Amino acid sequence: MEATVLYNVPHEIPWQVYIPLYFYFTGLSAGSFILSTLSTVFGIKRFKPMALPAAIISFLLLLLAPACLILDLHQPFRFWHTLVPEYFNRTSALSFGSWLLTAYPVANLIYIYYIYVKNDRVTRVLGTITVPLAIFVHAYTGFAFALVRARAWWHSALMPGFFLTSALLSGIALLLVVALIMDRYREEKLDPDLFKSLRLMMVGILLTDLFWNGCFWLTLMVSTADGIASIWFALHEKLYIYGEIVCGMLVPLALLVLPWTRQHRAWLYVASLLIIGGVFLMRYSVVYIGFDIPLS
Amino acid sequence: MKDPKPFSTKTAPKRWGMLVDQRRCIGCQSCTIACKSENNVPLGYWRSWVKGLQKGAFPNAGNFFLRRLCNHCDLPPCVQVCPVQATVRREEDGVVIMYYGKCIGCGMCIAACPYDARFFNPIRNTADKCDFCVARIDQGLKPACVEACLTGALVFGDLDDPSSEIFRQLNSTGTTVLKPELGTRPKVFYIGADHSLKGRIRYSDDFKEEILEYHKHIPSPDASYWKKGR
Repeated sequence: MEATVLYNVPHEIPWQVYIPLYFYFTGLSAGSFILSTLSTVFGIKRFKPMALPAAIISFLLLLLAPACLILDLHQPFRFWHTLVPEYFNRTSALSFGSWLLTAYPVANLIYIYYIYVKNDRVTRVLGTITVPLAIFVHAYTGFAFALVRARAWWHSALMPGFFLTSALLSGIALLLVVALIMDRYREEKLDPDLFKSLRLMMVGILLTDLFWNGCFWLTLMVSTADGIASIWFALHEKLYIYGEIVCGMLVPLALLVLPWTRQHRAWLYVASLLIIGGVFLMRYSVVYIGFDIPLS
Repeated sequence: MKDPKPFSTKTAPKRWGMLVDQRRCIGCQSCTIACKSENNVPLGYWRSWVKGLQKGAFPNAGNFFLRRLCNHCDLPPCVQVCPVQATVRREEDGVVIMYYGKCIGCGMCIAACPYDARFFNPIRNTADKCDFCVARIDQGLKPACVEACLTGALVFGDLDDPSSEIFRQLNSTGTTVLKPELGTRPKVFYIGADHSLKGRIRYSDDFKEEILEYHKHIPSPDASYWKKGR
């Protein structure tokens, strides 16, 4: 049936690039924080040298993340409205998120102080309290999407999990880059096993992320008209296929697994940088492919 | 402090709703213009509009219209996601309204509206939407679009009042709502709305062109995502 639209009013996309950047920064922050707690809370001694740098990176990224959020507001000077208890909306993921985003940097800063003064017992307690905060700070962004029933590309129970695993992935990749640089300039060399564990963690999480992607593709392909349109639109999108899937996931996976590249520090470095870029593209494509499907 | 009530509230509870009879609609856009002038909507932005579609080939062809506006859902997704309660569903009459002074302009409600009824007002710098001309209906008047309609295609009234025109029509005619499967319980009803107009993409082999065509008409300067239209 031939049909032509005579007249319609589309509305512009309400979010600027700050929003995917924000998701990216909180993800990186949560990922590096969890990595930092591996030694302080979970007692894996190998990660001990990474605890302080990871926590500091996590805190610095946490300063950038809310800045991105506020920059994207059309009324930036009203950002404090989200922290007025009277205005709190208990059905809104963003309401919870703004409180988490306030509590988490504070907890993070106290945690950094106790690592710095090498008080292991207090660090352990603080880390235990802050890990769930770190997880929720990132998971809520997944829920912010998953709870939007209007857009098939977002409305999925997998979304929070996908956001968490890719947050961890980007955190590990960033820390690997930091560790490689530290190893080069520090007197005391890092344990080579550290790199091996980081590499294996990245491989595991990359496979999980690919699994999430496969789940999304399959379920969307037999979904509603909007869902089918989203997935076919995504598969036609070069940035999604070549950027996120190929360069951000498959190439680093190959680099980390293949025996003739995985031994070399340089390839490890390249793979980490590709992953850091790929996770940003994942945030970007989640946000904008969702908006690309017209609703009116 | 309770929510500020900028508008006078009626004593008797109401449930305002609208019925759009697309069989009568001629696509003249009078309601669109009345809405714009009543609510001072900035150039390039619309609170409500009439979507038009042409189907078929001569001699079996036709123009079809669908009036788009805020559906004033009983379970509104925009109210669900607003982080500061800047948009609420008024308890006394079920109209979904905005508190512009509270709105921080995060855009979450715009992203969450399944009917694409919300937009950023570039002058107020907040989210904006159709509110059934709340200042008029609180004074006992009809919304501007209903007053402007030439053919009587728009019926506005109290869905709970058995003596109202909308109650009579809703109970004696086959009506439909947009996207009922989302469970938003809209209070804007349609008679004779063509399915291909109903706000979902018409999945076909050239859907990509269809989406790109749609994006060409977005009032932003270009398709680069991070630029906002001013």
